[in-house]
Amino acid sequence: MPVSRTLQRRIAPNRVIPVLAGLALLVVWSLDFGTIQPNRIVPGTGHGLLSATGWFGAGAVTLVLAASMLLSVLPLGVRYVPLLGLVGLSLAMLPLLLEVFAARHLPEGAPYARSAIGAGFWCLLFLLSLVLIEILGRLRSGRGLQILLLVSIGGSWLLLLRGDGLESLSLVREFNARPDQFEQALWTHLALAFGAVAISACVAFILALKMIRSPGWQRPILGAVSFLQTIPSLALFGLLIAPLSALAAAFPFLETLGIRGIGWAPAMLALVAYSLLPMLRNTFVALTEVPDNLVDAGRGMGMNERQLFFQLKLPLALPVIIEGVRITTIQAIGLTAVAALIGAGGFGAFIFQGLGQAAMDLVLLGALPTIALALMADAVFTMLAASLRPTPATA
Amino acid sequence: MIELKNVTRRFGDTVAVDNINLTIETGEVCVLVGSSGCGKSTTLRMINRLLPHSAGNILVDGEDIAAMNPEQLRLNMGYVIQGTGLFPHWTVARNIAMVPQLLKWPRDRIDARVNELMTLLDLDPTVHANKYPQQLSGGQAQRVGVARALAADPNILLMDEPFGALDAITRENLQMEMLRIQKQVRKTTVFVTHDIDEALKLATRIAVMDRGRIIQHDTPENILRHPASEFVENLVGKQDRGLKLMSLRPVRELMNPHRGPKRADPGVEGLREEDSIRLALSVMLWRGLQEVSVFNAHGEETGVITRERIIREGA
Repeated sequence: MPVSRTLQRRIAPNRVIPVLAGLALLVVWSLDFGTIQPNRIVPGTGHGLLSATGWFGAGAVTLVLAASMLLSVLPLGVRYVPLLGLVGLSLAMLPLLLEVFAARHLPEGAPYARSAIGAGFWCLLFLLSLVLIEILGRLRSGRGLQILLLVSIGGSWLLLLRGDGLESLSLVREFNARPDQFEQALWTHLALAFGAVAISACVAFILALKMIRSPGWQRPILGAVSFLQTIPSLALFGLLIAPLSALAAAFPFLETLGIRGIGWAPAMLALVAYSLLPMLRNTFVALTEVPDNLVDAGRGMGMNERQLFFQLKLPLALPVIIEGVRITTIQAIGLTAVAALIGAGGFGAFIFQGLGQAAMDLVLLGALPTIALALMADAVFTMLAASLRPTPATA
Repeated sequence: MIELKNVTRRFGDTVAVDNINLTIETGEVCVLVGSSGCGKSTTLRMINRLLPHSAGNILVDGEDIAAMNPEQLRLNMGYVIQGTGLFPHWTVARNIAMVPQLLKWPRDRIDARVNELMTLLDLDPTVHANKYPQQLSGGQAQRVGVARALAADPNILLMDEPFGALDAITRENLQMEMLRIQKQVRKTTVFVTHDIDEALKLATRIAVMDRGRIIQHDTPENILRHPASEFVENLVGKQDRGLKLMSLRPVRELMNPHRGPKRADPGVEGLREEDSIRLALSVMLWRGLQEVSVFNAHGEETGVITRERIIREGA
């Protein structure tokens, strides 16, 4: 661990953290920290940091930011470990500020009144997260620590959000109004996105093999797949409605499977179509860029084509293929939100409902989990690719 | 034994190898030497069928390779290439074990064989077995390449400029190593190089190639003494042939032997019996000596080599 080294000598001052923390101070004092709405639709009245959280809350926020600025520039022997503790703890406790805000400003006896998160809070959350990433980078922390931090901060947020103090938060209210729908949306979203990725992975793999075996097919296949990618997503969703409806009408048993002009079938088809290009490109490039001299050596030592493929080409290509799966998954999770427009369900449904009802917090209830899913997929596949590199770095 | 009979290889309209005949006896090292594009690598790659030949016959131990299963044929031929071709996602031990694994040897036999080969090639198994190729130096990596080729104890070894990418010192070390190992294992070896000195050092017989044809196929000494054409003469170097001949002969051949081995006086420096006469002369010139003592492998003095005799009979 670099921790022991940091105890022994002075570390150069950090220039990134003071800038981020300074910016956070600026925005948290100048933008609205939260708003109070008398009901779901009416725009609320904004409160600055001082008004929202009182001298105690405002003082705590200012103190934390100032302390992290100081910790990062003062000539110290230890720098990043206390910073990690400070910023990590602050991030975990951030929802408490919202509780204080709700407790101070929510009118008594107004059952429809709700508190909402303001721009100041979002910016503070964003900038503190950047500071945390910078600290983790400087500490050259291992995956274990990062995951532990993520889980404990996430857990703390969940606990606080599920607690009584934040019941009035509009985001929580939107969730509490439809917990079953939320769960349903989660599963639909996951099934659509990962289903599409799985199908396109198989199709792309077969296409890539076909392109390698018969180079004449490379141009037409890549051309077709690239063309699919250029169709705007809404247009593709729309285009699929008519042929699928016709199909369902002609073969009623398809309709019993749920294959109709709208719903999951056209969404899945469109998602697969969009996933093909990144998946195919990565798979094809990875498999063809195995160095010739290795293939030559393998063949010269007596490997047959099958052994060459499974023992040499595929293992060397796997990290790049997984990179393709990562890109595709993130893209599919985002696109699935749009697929709600043709009745496919998922978190996109909340987004479009919220837009329709001018209820921004319902939009957030759809958007935030979508972002969280994408980030998680990114982390998981990055780790997977790292663990499959040809040479483990630790060897 | 490998026999090439009227073998031709065409790439489209160009003829890469033009109707060559070549016989490589069992246990000998045949070095194919020539400038790039002369067809030497093509010839080598036809022997293990990485390239098909366009005409003629190639026989291995009397059997036509065209009739054999290419994978079976190659499993019986060690193959070493320039830049090693080691698999980067496999450890050193796994790389060496490649062919035994393809042949489905039992696990403990493979492990024993890997250990044996690493020791033979002067690689400490406890240090290097679990390393990955990127963690080795160029010389170590090529040693692993050679060990991999020898793993299943093939009868034939094909080496395609194996030391071409190494620095001069490492190359020299590996050449010495190869001579030592060849003495122990006696593989029928086809070795491709563009370096005539490497060819002279390693070969039992050299095949000089130019534009797809074999110009001369003979022992290193005969190539030096009686070059078949001006091309060969230029290749071996007209002027320093005398020195090259000297480097072919060991001190043993020209020393005045003692009646029996003598205990060496401590501190006396000398030559070993297998050092070249060229080295002996160099040592004498440098140290201003007329004669130098010669020692055998046990450190006993077995004779003396004189400057006068080298000048008289050296080349």
